Parts: sequence; C-alpha cells; structure tokens
Amino acid sequence: MTSENNKERSMPVLTLTNLAKRYNRKVWGVRKMDLEVEDKEFVVFLGPSGCGKTTCMRMIAGLEVTTRGSIILHGKDITDLPPRNRDISMVFQNYAIWPHMTVYENIAFALKLQKKSRSEIDRTVKEVAAMVKIDQLLSRIPGQMSGGQQQRVALARALAVKPKLFLMDEPLSNLDAKLRVVMRTELKAIHQRTGATSIFVTHDQSEAMSMADRIVIMKDGEIVQVGTPDDVYFRSADMFVAGFIGTPPTNFFPVEMKTAGEKVELSHPRFAILISGSDADRLKNNGQNSLILGVRPEEIKVVPEKDSLLSVEVMVVEPQGSFQIVAVEIEGEIVKIVVGSAGKIQPGERLHLSFVEERLHFFNAETTKRI
Amino acid sequence: MTNNLRRNAGRTMRMTTIYILVSGVAMIIIFPMFFLFSFSLMSDYETYSEWPKPLLPRTSVDYRMDHSGNGNFRLSIWNVSENDWMPFGPEELNRNPDEIKKLSRFLNNYGNTQFSEEEILTAMKLTDQDGFYEFALRKSLIHNYRRFFKLYSGAARSVLQSLYTAGMTIFISVSIGGMAGYAFARYVFKGKNILKLSVLFVRMFPPVAIAIPMVVILGKMGMYDKPVGLSLIYSINQISMNIWITASIFMGIPESLEEAAQVFGTSKTGAFFRVTMPLAVPGLAACAMYSFIYSWNEVINAVILTQFNPTFPVVVYKSLLGANAQVHLIAAGSIAQALPAIIFTLFIRKYILQMWGGVKV
Repeated sequence: MTSENNKERSMPVLTLTNLAKRYNRKVWGVRKMDLEVEDKEFVVFLGPSGCGKTTCMRMIAGLEVTTRGSIILHGKDITDLPPRNRDISMVFQNYAIWPHMTVYENIAFALKLQKKSRSEIDRTVKEVAAMVKIDQLLSRIPGQMSGGQQQRVALARALAVKPKLFLMDEPLSNLDAKLRVVMRTELKAIHQRTGATSIFVTHDQSEAMSMADRIVIMKDGEIVQVGTPDDVYFRSADMFVAGFIGTPPTNFFPVEMKTAGEKVELSHPRFAILISGSDADRLKNNGQNSLILGVRPEEIKVVPEKDSLLSVEVMVVEPQGSFQIVAVEIEGEIVKIVVGSAGKIQPGERLHLSFVEERLHFFNAETTKRI
Repeated sequence: MTNNLRRNAGRTMRMTTIYILVSGVAMIIIFPMFFLFSFSLMSDYETYSEWPKPLLPRTSVDYRMDHSGNGNFRLSIWNVSENDWMPFGPEELNRNPDEIKKLSRFLNNYGNTQFSEEEILTAMKLTDQDGFYEFALRKSLIHNYRRFFKLYSGAARSVLQSLYTAGMTIFISVSIGGMAGYAFARYVFKGKNILKLSVLFVRMFPPVAIAIPMVVILGKMGMYDKPVGLSLIYSINQISMNIWITASIFMGIPESLEEAAQVFGTSKTGAFFRVTMPLAVPGLAACAMYSFIYSWNEVINAVILTQFNPTFPVVVYKSLLGANAQVHLIAAGSIAQALPAIIFTLFIRKYILQMWGGVKV
C-alpha cells in the first residue's frame, strides 16, 4: 500500500518526450525537449530570447501545434488536444486580461464556462482574489488599474481554475524592478500554499535562481542543463550556463595543462596554478591540454601580495551597496571580481588576486562542456 | 503684473481670431444646409412671392377677407417683404360649394395652411357683418414633406428600397470585410501586403465607365433593378473600406486575449465571439455607419442599375430635373434624404468616439 503510494507520488505530472517545433518547415523553435516535471514542482525555463522556452510553454498550453514528440499530463496524452481540454492555466506576459470585463468577470470566466454553480463561483473568486490581494478591486475595469494590479488579476484568474499545471510566461517582465521583486516573493508564497505544479518562463536568471525548484536552461531550442539552482550555479554544465547564470557571470581564462606528478599545473600567460586531488584526476583523465578555466567573480579573492597569484590594475569600480564589482583587464579580457564593501577600492589601484581553489570550473575548450 | 496682463491680452486676441475664423468656416458649411432646411418649411407663396427671404420661415400666416363688390369676396395674404396685403387666390369668390372647396385646397397647397370649408363659410359670414375679417392660421411644417412623397410617386416605396439596400450592404460588407480584416490582422501569408493594397483597387473604377458591364452582369444574374444587386455593387466598394478599418481594429486587440480565452475554456471560435468581437464593436459600428451612409447617399450606380425600383436618392435626384421643379418641395426631399444618415451617425456616435476620440476601450 505505502509502496504504491510512493510510486504514484514519484510518477511525473508532466512528461515531454522528444518535443520539437519547426516553423514553416524552416526555422526550429524547439529542436528537442525531454523533460519530466514532478508533482508540486516549480520548474523554471531559463534562456536568452529566442531559445525556444516560450515556444515550448505554448506547446504545453496547446497554443502552438507540435511538429514532433508528445506531451503527457497526468498519464494522459494531451499533445493534440485544444487548450481548453488540457486542464492547465496560464499567466501571460502582457497579462491578457479582458478589458471589457470587470475583474470579477475575468476571474469567473473559466468557472462560468465550466457551468459551476453561482455560489461556488462566488466563493472561488473571493478566495483567489484574497490570495492575490485584489479583493477590493473586484468590480473594477482593468483599464483603471496599474500594471501590478493587472498582473494580480491574471494570477487570480489562473488560480481560480485549480489546474493540474500552472504555466507562467514571463509574468513579471512587464513590471517595474521593485514590484518584480515583491511579486517574485508573493508568487513563491502562493506556490507553496497551493502546491500547484508550475512551469515558469523567464530570461532573468536571478528570478529563476530565487524561485525555482529546478531550472531548465535552454539554448537554441535545446536543453543545456536541468538542475536545482545550486546545480546550475556551482556545477554549470558548460560555458554557456556558467556565462549565463550569476551577475556578473563567470570569468573564463584559456589555460594550458601540464602534469606535475600527482598534481596538474594550469598555466595562463599571467599566472600558473597547481591543482590537486579529484580535480587533478579528472583533468588528467580528460587528456586534453588546452582548456578553459572558469572562476566566479566572488571566488576571486583580494589577498596580500605574498599569497597572490597575479597582480592587476583596477579599471572600473561599480559600487553595489553591500558589495562592489571591480573590473580589471587580464590579457585583453575584462574580468569582474566581487569584493566586500569594506575598504573602498579606487580605479588605478593595484590588486593582488588569488582563486578559491576548490571552487574552480574546468571546461573543454572545443566542446565548451564541463570537465 | 503688466506682463501678465499683456500676455492675457495676447492670448485673448489669438483665441478671438481663431474663433472668428472657425465660426466663419462653420458658417460656410452650416448656412447652405440651414437655408435648405428653412426652404423645406416654406409654403409655395413664401418661396416664390416674397423677397428677400426671411432667415426663418413663418409659423403662421395672416389672411384678410373682404368684399370685392357684387357681394363677392376677396382673400388677401400678408406679404412680409412688401409689408402689405396682397391678393391671394381667385379675385371673385362666391358661396358656391365648389369654389369654396377650391379655395380650401388652394390655402392648403399654396399657403400650407388648413382652413376647412365650414370655416370659410364662417369667415364669409363674419366679413358680411364687419366688412372685413382678418385671421391668422398656423402653418403646417410637415406639409412640404407630405407633398413631396405624394407628388413624386414611388418616393415612399423608394425609401423602403433604400433601407433594404442599405441593410443588405451593411450585412454583406461588414461580415465579409470584417472576416477579411481579421485574416489580415492575425495571419501571415504570402502576398498579404499586395492583397491588402489591391482590395482598394476596385474603388478606382468610375461607375459610369463600367456601367454597361455592370448592367449586363447584373441582368444575367437576374439582379438588375433589385436592391440585392445594388447592394452587391455597393458592397464591392464598401468591403475594401471595411477591411482596412477592421484590420486596424483587430490589430489593436492583442492576440493573447484570445489565447487566454482558449486556455480558460473556449474554442477558437468561442474566443473570437466572447473576447475579440465585443472589443471590436466600435470598429464594426464605424464600418456599419460608413456602409449605411454610402449606400443611402449613392446616386450614380443607383441611376444606372435601377429602372422601376429606384432608391430614394434617385427619386430626389429626378425631382431636381425638369422645368417644373419646385424648390421648397425639393428642399423637403433633400432634408428627408439627409435625415436618416444624420440620425444613424448620432446613434452610433458613442462607438466612433470610443475608437477615435481617445477613449480607451
């Protein structure tokens, strides 16, 4: 009995198999998507614009015809069903709330079509309106409301149908920066309360990092990496992910590898670094001598001269309040370093730098994959 | 302080100049229409026997009856421009019932006043008593309109023909134009821009130039001299117009509104009728208005394509022809012709304002 329950819980809510979309038999929107989404999971599709994340979501919603592959929701193949029969709901980027209906009518729209009783509709509308804090606005027309309020209406409308799957297509990107951070927190709280399985599309990596249970990073219509925020940050699958996640992104140095007994030595025109332990074994097994060293900005430390790996002149300082971003030039490349705000650094100053050795990333110079 | 005063004075001057110019331009447009309206209320006598014309037509007419010798009577009318009594009707009047009937009709037709035979007899009695009898009669303001429809036979029927034609034109051109406009707004296809431009090309043919083919084709279709045929011809013109109006309206309605409706439980068609259509009502109303006005006012095609079942503008146009044209009756016909278009426009003004008046839907 219990084992069966466990088995059911571990069955994915949504399965995408070999999903692809091609426009006019020419342009690939999505090349290949294989993904399983667990119950109550909050999955974020992340990628630069044009990577196919929105296309993929629209295929799940049924707004886009699939070219190939299948979409299975709760064990039912929904690949060719019209959107209304899919048991999903969606929040659109431009809110897409109907301007000729009041807020109440907007939220009640789907429920009325489902032929729910009037009292049930009323109860549900009030419940979700309270959840997104628009219970004072129910009789208003969307045109009189601010962007944030409209987004809340869109959210309430999507929550009201109690869907099996909750889709959000860049719902925060039309809001101003401050409101976006507020809504981010509220969205997460709502998700924790309702437990609705959710897919969230965004191009903003900090949004993805802060909200996701799992992040699906996409590029050119394909999945590059699927993992928890920690996975994609600390174990980036390739240089694209390492360069996309984190502000500022990872710094890359092309290095040559030399074996030195147990250890390996990575040499760059400006510095040489000795790697030991499991990292060294991995590098040796990899066999290639030219590789890319990736170092996150906060993993470059300012140290006394005697411990330093290299010394550089500060080019630009960008104060951020709690920390400052220092940009320096190493071999023609701009390298960014995150330094605590204690001790103001001035442009032109000389800094002595060292890397946090256990947190270095190594990438294959040709395939850009992680080693 | 003085600066302020000077600035205010300058502003007042500027505004005054603008208002004078604007009202001047408005006068140029309004006065001819006003005179037409004024003429449509004038009697035959006012139209042809008084000069200069008063700005406003009279609402009552003064008459005077006295003896013309031999116990006969004579009727005079107060001429406003001469400021005197002028003879009106037959010189010698007696109590002969036929003559009294004639006089009553004369008062009605030429003075637009109702005066029954008994009242004439009473007037004669009073004239015998006092030597003269002066009386004022209320002028009938709708007399010319009634007269127009009586005189130009088929005018009333032609109004129905016109309404029918306009209704058909609205139906055909708004439905087809609206559907095409939706396609132009929502779908990407090869040659879209060329096609959208080319729908305007049908408007460039002058109706007179293609009159013969039109008559032949409509005749072969069995639609010559029928409102349906006429409305088809009008629709060709109007569809292109409606495509452009509705395409811009549908483009302004985000596709995501329809998509949202689909996600939340409607079919694609349902989404159109529940979401897009209500939002497009101002645009569709504008299309209907333009179609109505065009169909209601059009003359050239109607003259060519009708024979025994003319539309109302054809009747009005024909009333202008010939030596016996009566200005005040034509004015009545013209106003009758202009009125429905004005009423229709006022009726859907709200929607037009929504579309172009900066009132966001």
